[in-house]
Amino acid sequence: MHSFEVEEIKKSGKDFAIDIDVLPNRTDCYSHFGMAREISAILGYKMKEEKWKLKEENFKAKDFISVKVKEGCQRYTARVIFDPKIDQSPDWLRERLEVCGLKPINNVVDVTNYVMLEFGQPLHAFDLDKIEEKEIIVRKAKKGEKILTLDEEEYELDKEILVIADSKKPVALAGIKGGKNSGISEKTKRVLLESANFEPLIIRRGSAKIDLKTDASVRFSHGLDPNLTEIAIDRAAFLIQEIAQGKVAKGMVDFYPEKVYPKKIKLEKEKVESLLGIKIAPKEIFRILKSLGFKVDKKFVVEIPTFRRDVSFQEDLIEEIGRVYGYEKIEKKFPKQTLSLPNKNLDLFWENMTKDILKELGFTEVYNYSFVSKDDVEKFHFEKEAIELENPVSASFQFLRPSLIINLLKNVYKNQNFFKQIKIFEIGKIFKGEKKEKKVLTCLMTGETFFEMKGTIDLLLEKLGISNFYYDSYRPTPEATKISVWHLKRSAEIKVDGEEIGFLGEISKKILDAYQIKEKVVVFDIDFEKLVNFASEEHEYQPISSFPAVIRDISVLLPKKVLVEEVLNKIYQAGGENLRDVDLFDIYEGEEIPEERKSLSFRLIFQAKDRALSSKEVEEVQNKIIEILEKEKEWEVRK
Amino acid sequence: MARKFNLKTLQKKIQKEIEEAKTLKDLDEIFNLYLGKKGEIVKLFKKIKSLPKKKRAKVGERINKLKDFLFEKLEKKSEKIKKKVEEEEEKKEFFDITIPGKKPEIGHLHPLTSVKRKVEEIFQSLGFEVVEGPEIEDEWHNFDALNIPPGHPARDVLSLGKTFYLKKGGVMRSHTSSVQIRYMEKNQPPLKIVVPGKVFRAEATDVSHEIEFWQLEGLMVDKDVSVANFKAIVEEFFKRFFEKEVKIRLRPSFFPFTEPSFEVDVSCVICGGKGCPVCKNSGWLESGGAGMVHPQVFKNCKLNPKEWQGFAFGMGLTRLAMLKYKIPDIRLFNSGDLRFLKQF
Repeated sequence: MHSFEVEEIKKSGKDFAIDIDVLPNRTDCYSHFGMAREISAILGYKMKEEKWKLKEENFKAKDFISVKVKEGCQRYTARVIFDPKIDQSPDWLRERLEVCGLKPINNVVDVTNYVMLEFGQPLHAFDLDKIEEKEIIVRKAKKGEKILTLDEEEYELDKEILVIADSKKPVALAGIKGGKNSGISEKTKRVLLESANFEPLIIRRGSAKIDLKTDASVRFSHGLDPNLTEIAIDRAAFLIQEIAQGKVAKGMVDFYPEKVYPKKIKLEKEKVESLLGIKIAPKEIFRILKSLGFKVDKKFVVEIPTFRRDVSFQEDLIEEIGRVYGYEKIEKKFPKQTLSLPNKNLDLFWENMTKDILKELGFTEVYNYSFVSKDDVEKFHFEKEAIELENPVSASFQFLRPSLIINLLKNVYKNQNFFKQIKIFEIGKIFKGEKKEKKVLTCLMTGETFFEMKGTIDLLLEKLGISNFYYDSYRPTPEATKISVWHLKRSAEIKVDGEEIGFLGEISKKILDAYQIKEKVVVFDIDFEKLVNFASEEHEYQPISSFPAVIRDISVLLPKKVLVEEVLNKIYQAGGENLRDVDLFDIYEGEEIPEERKSLSFRLIFQAKDRALSSKEVEEVQNKIIEILEKEKEWEVRK
Repeated sequence: MARKFNLKTLQKKIQKEIEEAKTLKDLDEIFNLYLGKKGEIVKLFKKIKSLPKKKRAKVGERINKLKDFLFEKLEKKSEKIKKKVEEEEEKKEFFDITIPGKKPEIGHLHPLTSVKRKVEEIFQSLGFEVVEGPEIEDEWHNFDALNIPPGHPARDVLSLGKTFYLKKGGVMRSHTSSVQIRYMEKNQPPLKIVVPGKVFRAEATDVSHEIEFWQLEGLMVDKDVSVANFKAIVEEFFKRFFEKEVKIRLRPSFFPFTEPSFEVDVSCVICGGKGCPVCKNSGWLESGGAGMVHPQVFKNCKLNPKEWQGFAFGMGLTRLAMLKYKIPDIRLFNSGDLRFLKQF
C-alpha cells in the first residue's frame, strides 16, 4: 500500500522468493539494495550495510584497455582483473542466484549477475585476451554484421542495434547479452569488467527488434543512474577478488563526459498539505524524506540523490511523503463547492432522446467495432476516402469504418437465423476523408419496410422538434448508379430546409448478396451533427377543436406514375383552412382497374376551429377539391 | 267513491308481485300488465271520467303517484336481478390465467448506454459537466501534452505501445485523458468535467481485453483541490452507482500525467470485501487509475501550476457494466448479438 505490489511469495529451498511488481519509473528498486532502502523507509528500520574494501594492484587498468564511445552510452566504466581462478561459485552464491531464477555459470559470471541483483546495475565480463587491439568501441552495428551470443543463438544485426566491439568485430549486444567469442572460459587469464550506462531508448528498441529480452535489457530500458556503474564495478571486482582470487588492476577506465549531480528542490509545507488534503508534521516529513535517501536542510531544500531519476518536481516529493505516510490516513473531504451548475451537454441530450425514441419504436441499440476490412471498404467503394491503420490487429480490422451500415449488415447476417425481423440502430463515429470523423445515426429494418422506415423518420424528426423536413428522390449520376449500395428507385434523400441531412433506402441486391443476407433491408443514415443543429425543444400545445369533424372519402383514379405527393398538394391547396387532415388509406392497382393506372383513396377530415361546419360548406369544399383534381388529364374522382 | 279504485290494495298487490319476480322476463310481464298501453293503470285513468268532476283531480294525482312508485320499484328490482345474473355468470365462467401473456415487441438500449447514463447523471449531480472529444487524436493530445514524450514506451508502435496508429498520421485515442488537455486548452479553471468515450488498444482480445471499449475520464481543477477531495468524490460516486456502502483504497502507482498517482480500488460489491471469485479473494476491485494533475500537464495547457491544482481519474465504463450486470466476457458488448442485447 506504500510502494509496490507483491505478486507472489514462493518457497525455494530454505529460502523465500518474493515476486514484486516494481513500478516502471522506480528503477532504483530493481535490486535488493533498492528494495531494502524502500522497506527501511516504510517500516522505519535502519538499514544494515555490508562493509567491504577493494584492494588494488600496482599495474594500471588503463594500460590494458581503452574505451571509445561513438554513441548510445552515457557512461562506460571498465576494470581489469588478472589471474582469476575460474571455477564453480561457492554454495551461498549459487543458491542465491538460483532462488532468483538465474543459472549459475562460473564464479566470475555469477558475480556480475549477483551484483546486478544486489545493486540493479547490469555488468558484463569479457575475456580481455579475446578483445583485439585491447580496444572497446561502443557503436551501432553495421548492416549484415552477425553475432553469436553466449547462449549460442546467432543474430543478424543492423544499424539500430548498439554493440560493444573491438577493432574488428562485435563482442557483445550492448546492454542485452554478451558474445560467445569474448566470453569467460576456464582458460581465461585476464578479465575485463564492464559496468556501463546505455541509452534506454536504444536498448529498448534494439531488444524489441531482435526479440530478445534479458535481465540487463529490461533494466537499461527503464533508465538507470549513471553514478551506479562505479559502485557496482567496485563491488564486483571485490567479490571476484574474494571468490576467485583475482588481482584487480589499479583504477578504472571511465568514459563519463557529462557527470550527473544531485538536484535540489524547495519543498513548501503548505503545498504538501494543500495537495494531499491532510496536515503532516514537519518532523514526520523530514523523517520520511531522509529515510528514502533524500538530504533535507532546515529550510526544506531537498537534495535528490541521482538514483531517484523519477523525482524532479515538488509534486514528486509530495508523492513520496504521501505514500510513505499512508494514503489510507488521508480522510475523505468534500471539496469546497462554489455554487455553479454544470452546463448541459446538448449533443448528449439529443443523443439520449433519439435513442429513447427509437427504442420506443421497437429498435434495439447496438455498439459495433469502429473497424472494417479492406474487403468491406471495396464492397462499399470507399477506397479513396477510407482511413487505414498502420498496425491493425487483424485483416478484418484494417480500416476505420467509413459508414455504420457495413457492420449493421454484419449484425443482420449474424442474427438472421434467430429472429424473424431485425430492427437495430447505432449512433457512433464514422471516419473518412479529410474531415476525418463524424457522428452519425444509422437505423436498419429488415423486410419490405420502406414506408415503415419513412414513418419512423417522420416520428423521430417530429419528436426532435423538426417540422420542415421532406424527402427528395435519389438521382444518382450514371457513374454512381453503377456502384450504388442503394436500390436505385427505393431510396430518398432526407432534407431539412433544403439541406440534406441523411438518406433513406433499400440496400441493393448486390450488397445484400455480398453479405449473405436473405431478406430485404431498409436503412436510414442521418448526419447526427446536422440533426442536432435543427433539433428544438420548443413544443406548443395545439388547441383541440370542440366542434364536430366531418369525414368524407374520395378515390382518385390516375396514371401509375403520378406521385402521391402531387395529389396531396392539390387536395390541400383546394381544401383551405377547414380541411384539417388528409389520410391516404388505400392504394389499389390490378383487377377492375385499367393497366398503367392506380386508384388512391383518401379520407378527408373537415373541421373548423370556431364553429360547426354545415354540410353545405363541406360539400362546397369537397366539390372544389374534385374540380381541381379532375382538371388534370386522365384523373378521375369517385366519391 | 275512491274505494272503487282501491288503489292501496292494488299497490300492495303489484308490490308483492314485483318482489316475487325472479327474472327480467317476470318484470316485463308485470310492466305490461299494469303500465303497458292496455295495462291496469291506463284503465284506471280512463275510469276517472266516471267520477264527479270535483274528485277527478285528486284521484288522478293518486294514480300518478302510484305509477311513479311502480316505475321506481320496477327499476330497482330490475337492477337487482341484473346484478345477480352477472354475478352468477361470472361465477360460472372458466378463465385460465396461466396462459402466457402477450408481450409487445419493444426496443432495447445497449447496456453501456444505460450505465453511461447513470454514471453521467451521478457526476452531473455532483457538479461535473459531461464533455466529449474526438476519437482520432493527434500525438500531441494523446501523448506529448500528457507528459508522454517521444520515445516513451507507451508510444512504441511495436510491442509495448498498444496504440493504433493511422497510416496518414494521428492515432486512435488510447485513453480519454486526451480530452482533459483539449478542455484545459480552451477553458479556464475552476473546472469539473467527466468525459465518457470509446478508447482503442492494439492488443489481442480475450474475455477481459478488447481493442475498443469505453472509459470515463474525470477532471477537477481549482485552487486547492486535494487527494482528500478525490477520495470523497470517488467514494460518493461508487456508493451511488452500486447503491450500497463501499470503501475506497488508493495504492501508489505511476502515470506520466499525474503526480502523485494511484490505483483506485473499491471494496468488492459482490462479496462486500469478504473475498470471492470476482475480486480474486482480495476483497477489492481494481476500478481505475487516478492522481493529481502533473505540473507539466498544466504547463502544456498554458495554465500556471503554481496557481492551479486538481485531480484526474479514469475508469472503465465497460468494466462497470460487466460488474453491474455480471457479464463475464467483454467481447459481448461489441458482438451485435441480439440474444445478448435484448436482455437489457
